[in-house]
Amino acid sequence: MSGFSELIKNYDKTRDYIRDFFIYGFKVRNDFDRKSLRTYDDEKRRIESWFGEYVKYDRSERGQKVSITVDSGSISENPLYQAYRSKSFTDNDIKLHFFIIDVLHNGENLTLKEIVEYIDTNYNEIFDVQTIRNKLKEYVKEGIIITEKKGKTAYFRLSTDGVNEFLYNYEGLSDAVKFFSETQEFGIVGNSVLESARLKNDLFVMKHNYIVHTLEDIIIPEIISAIEQKKYIALISFKVNKANNMGYIVPMKIFSSLQTGRRYIVGYIPVINCFHSFRLDFIRTVRTGDICEEYDRIYEKFSQDLNYCFGVSFGSGKIETTVITFCIDEKYEKFIVDRLKREKRNGVLEKIGDNLFHLTVKAFDSYAVMQWVKSFTGRIISITGDNKQAIKRFYSDINKMYNMYGGREK
Amino acid sequence: MNIFHEIYSTYFRIASEILKLPNITEKDINKIIETYGFRNSMLFLPQKFLLQNDGSDWGLLKRSSDGKLVKVIKNKPIEILTEIQKRWLKSKLDNPKIKLFIENDTLVSLKKRLEDVTPFYSSEHFRYTDQFSDGDDFSDELYQENFRKILKAVKSHEILEITFFSGNGKKISGKYIPLKIQYSAKNDRFRLFCFSLKDGELFHSGVINIGRVEQVRNTSEHYEKNISTDDYFRKRKCKEPVTVCISDERNATERFFMEFAPYEKNTLSNSDDGKCIVKIWYDYQEETELLIRLLSFGPVIEILEPPEFRRQAKERITRQYDLLNKNRRQ
Repeated sequence: MSGFSELIKNYDKTRDYIRDFFIYGFKVRNDFDRKSLRTYDDEKRRIESWFGEYVKYDRSERGQKVSITVDSGSISENPLYQAYRSKSFTDNDIKLHFFIIDVLHNGENLTLKEIVEYIDTNYNEIFDVQTIRNKLKEYVKEGIIITEKKGKTAYFRLSTDGVNEFLYNYEGLSDAVKFFSETQEFGIVGNSVLESARLKNDLFVMKHNYIVHTLEDIIIPEIISAIEQKKYIALISFKVNKANNMGYIVPMKIFSSLQTGRRYIVGYIPVINCFHSFRLDFIRTVRTGDICEEYDRIYEKFSQDLNYCFGVSFGSGKIETTVITFCIDEKYEKFIVDRLKREKRNGVLEKIGDNLFHLTVKAFDSYAVMQWVKSFTGRIISITGDNKQAIKRFYSDINKMYNMYGGREK
Repeated sequence: MNIFHEIYSTYFRIASEILKLPNITEKDINKIIETYGFRNSMLFLPQKFLLQNDGSDWGLLKRSSDGKLVKVIKNKPIEILTEIQKRWLKSKLDNPKIKLFIENDTLVSLKKRLEDVTPFYSSEHFRYTDQFSDGDDFSDELYQENFRKILKAVKSHEILEITFFSGNGKKISGKYIPLKIQYSAKNDRFRLFCFSLKDGELFHSGVINIGRVEQVRNTSEHYEKNISTDDYFRKRKCKEPVTVCISDERNATERFFMEFAPYEKNTLSNSDDGKCIVKIWYDYQEETELLIRLLSFGPVIEILEPPEFRRQAKERITRQYDLLNKNRRQ
């Protein structure tokens, strides 16, 4: 028991463990070889404490498997948000939080000296001035406290932007927050708004909901800030020996695949002069570098290249053409034609005869096209194109699958 | 400025709830910790609120002369919208979906209120690589009107009369009890989860695409009996899970577990040769979607059970094999 805490100081290590428990439901204690088994036990215990009902145990020949299991299409709140609510703090942090808000509760503008004196007199606690000064400075940064200077003296007051005042004065806002709190772009922030207002999302559920993405929300603000400032970034990987050896990259956009469940930061790598996608879940931290003087020129090239990016890969920068011929019964299977239209991205769809369609895709990565094309299994007449290897693999895969399912056996 | 900060933490929330009570007892403290805390919080938190001889408590409560627990602060704690929360809200005001929730006048005044706030991010920072191109038109006024009526009914559990077009274009009208609104980022569409009513009783668990709704009419009627959303989801769940075998070629295990993360599943075994056997539970109306997603993995995934699901996979693959061979011969 001693030494164990439900709270954590750093999110990085825990993030990696949660991901493993959630994504892979089959790992046993000995599979976690990052650090000591004691570390595993502590992380596991914290995860059990945070995620309670979603933690599942199964026995296997190799030992007990622990997993976080969620049907994310039927939940109203992402359970992984709990991990964000576990930041450790000192006794002074929690005392000063409630004391300072209490001192400034009635809208007073007070100096540091007045706040220190009030706390000393009223709460039977003595803090040194520097501790309170630092806390005030921190809360100014967090937007809880507003500071104004009159002459040389700084005055502090509580922000008047109360959570409840916002949510109840602007009709419909609380419903919007309920919705956005479960969407991809920093839903955790919306969830914190709901928590502050003691509200829960009781209206919406999400389909194709990759709840694990929230674990990456911790590093994205740094990336976005670098994009805004047109700066280089260095990506520090979880695996020490697999640390990013590309040096600094120029960040362009966050790519999110709603099919594969992966998110990436796409950036330009100066040393090899190409764009590349880096998995966000493999990145532990991001370090911001200097301003990239050529940012606008690189971004313009990136915007042009986007037209040929079928998934997330920029390949070697060479555009490959693939032509797929589909056989679709137009009378009874119009929904397949509709599916092609809505999923083809930059592809050009042409009707070439009765129930026959050509789709021409120009892309950097023909393998990404092939993976998608396989979802039309049963309707493809032929595939031709520049990347012979990718096409050969498609034909070979169909043969393998045919044999796997017993060919013509009954 | 960071969302991983103690001001958003569960322990701060618990302290705030306790300090909002007019009279505080140890029982109340324990109840609040049980309600809002993590599973093990009861082991760590009660002693932080109760005066300890060694001074290890947080000093937020003291004992009055008659032994009662009283808070040291004078006012109820208040919750302030932080900078990061305001910046996030500001970003959402530029999202086209915001108009589904907030009327124009309110939106204008909210934008004015946040005019000095820097957005947390912009939609330009993100790209959804495989989002469908025929999502709902959130700017359409009829769509917005229908959405709001449905949303209001979800909150009040009012029975609605809805006229809509089914997937194959058939016009359908009926009475429905709305339960939840579902959003799919991949489809960029909203759908209504509801029960249809027949002779005043629950009939079918259904899904209506809001983009295909022609008319929504309020009835001012309410279904008197209790309806559980869990029951709704249970009714839609497949009778039997699909069992698949994943080989470890082409990084298939990792790809599979990432892609199928939203599904409820159970890994039965993973052998030394890298093969994994996994059971997947799914919404029975989305069987085809699951089938085509599994087939897109190619030969690195084999569908084992149930026999009918495997038969469907086999039928598509055989048809595909025949199409390619026929074309080769020609």
